[in-house]
Amino acid sequence: MAISQDLLDILACPKCKGDVHMNPNGDGLVCESCRLLYPIKDDIPIMLIDEAIKL
Amino acid sequence: MKALVTGAAGFIGSHLAERLLQDGYEVCGVDKFLENYPRQWKEQNLSGLLRHPRFRFIESDLVQLSLPELIDGVVYVFHLAAQPGVRASWGKEFDRYTHNNLLATQKLLEACKGRRIQKFVFASSSSVYGDTTDLPMREDGVTCPVSPYGMTKLAGEHLCYLYWKAFEVPVVSLRFFTVYGPRQRPDMGFHIFMRALLRDEELPLYDDGEQTRDFTFYSDIVGGTLAAAQYPGFGEIFNLGGGCRTTLNEMLQTLETISGRKLRIKKLPRQAGDVRHTEAELGRARDRLGFNPHVGLAEGLRQEWEWLGSCLK
Repeated sequence: MAISQDLLDILACPKCKGDVHMNPNGDGLVCESCRLLYPIKDDIPIMLIDEAIKL
Repeated sequence: MKALVTGAAGFIGSHLAERLLQDGYEVCGVDKFLENYPRQWKEQNLSGLLRHPRFRFIESDLVQLSLPELIDGVVYVFHLAAQPGVRASWGKEFDRYTHNNLLATQKLLEACKGRRIQKFVFASSSSVYGDTTDLPMREDGVTCPVSPYGMTKLAGEHLCYLYWKAFEVPVVSLRFFTVYGPRQRPDMGFHIFMRALLRDEELPLYDDGEQTRDFTFYSDIVGGTLAAAQYPGFGEIFNLGGGCRTTLNEMLQTLETISGRKLRIKKLPRQAGDVRHTEAELGRARDRLGFNPHVGLAEGLRQEWEWLGSCLK
């Protein structure tokens, strides 16, 4: 089950609380301000700062 | 109607989420996958939920998560997420307890201020009563926790009450009494005993076995939790117990019968923070919530035994 739009609508960057958007290849959510990628594994968005990947 | 369940990958949270979905709710679950026990158990708890079209799940820390968007449109907040475990709450591990039990609860209550939720249900614990000899334990009785974990749960109850009095966040706190059944955490008593039996290992038994617990089957906890959400009152506290206070020695005899195996016990000293007895006074919960525990200990143990046996094959 892919990430639904209504779930995406309620997610924000845990670090700056700003908007996030799906990465073009669908493997994570990107915060442009923080330059962080929050991975999506098994359709679960992992909104943990420690798990985020620096872009 | 929408519900938020924190701790949704956990033992009770996952069962609660399933019941809410069965009752027609949309459910958003949050869990940070604490490392108190292996992740695979929690993933297993979630596996059915993740296939449900009305279930959404976020892996996150409530302290970090942007909560206002999450709570938008939610009718009931069920706050079950916590750092559990009495014995591990001493020493340097206490930081985790303050973060996950106090700070996370405060953040969630803050986010609920001024929102149109109908109820904020806080999962507390019989641990708040401590070693009282005034049994059965009454909600208006003395609370004197003897573990840091119990203290954080009592503090959580107080936080909830403050937010009700100051900001009308519609709270209710529930004191869960030793919950058991399928999906029980691997660090909890019955799971430890049953795993040892299945592997033909010695069972670790702390203290003399004459300590008692008011064991409560998970489905009775879920029923009571839902009743509390729908209860028209606010700012109150309720015990949710199983109505079957039993010594550990009696429980072990029942386990022998159910398993058909002979126990080998390894006696260990009582641990700091363990209470001697728990017993829930259920009059308030029965009268106001219609709470009525259904599952007796023998049946509940049998279900947990069958579940764990199938997991460990």
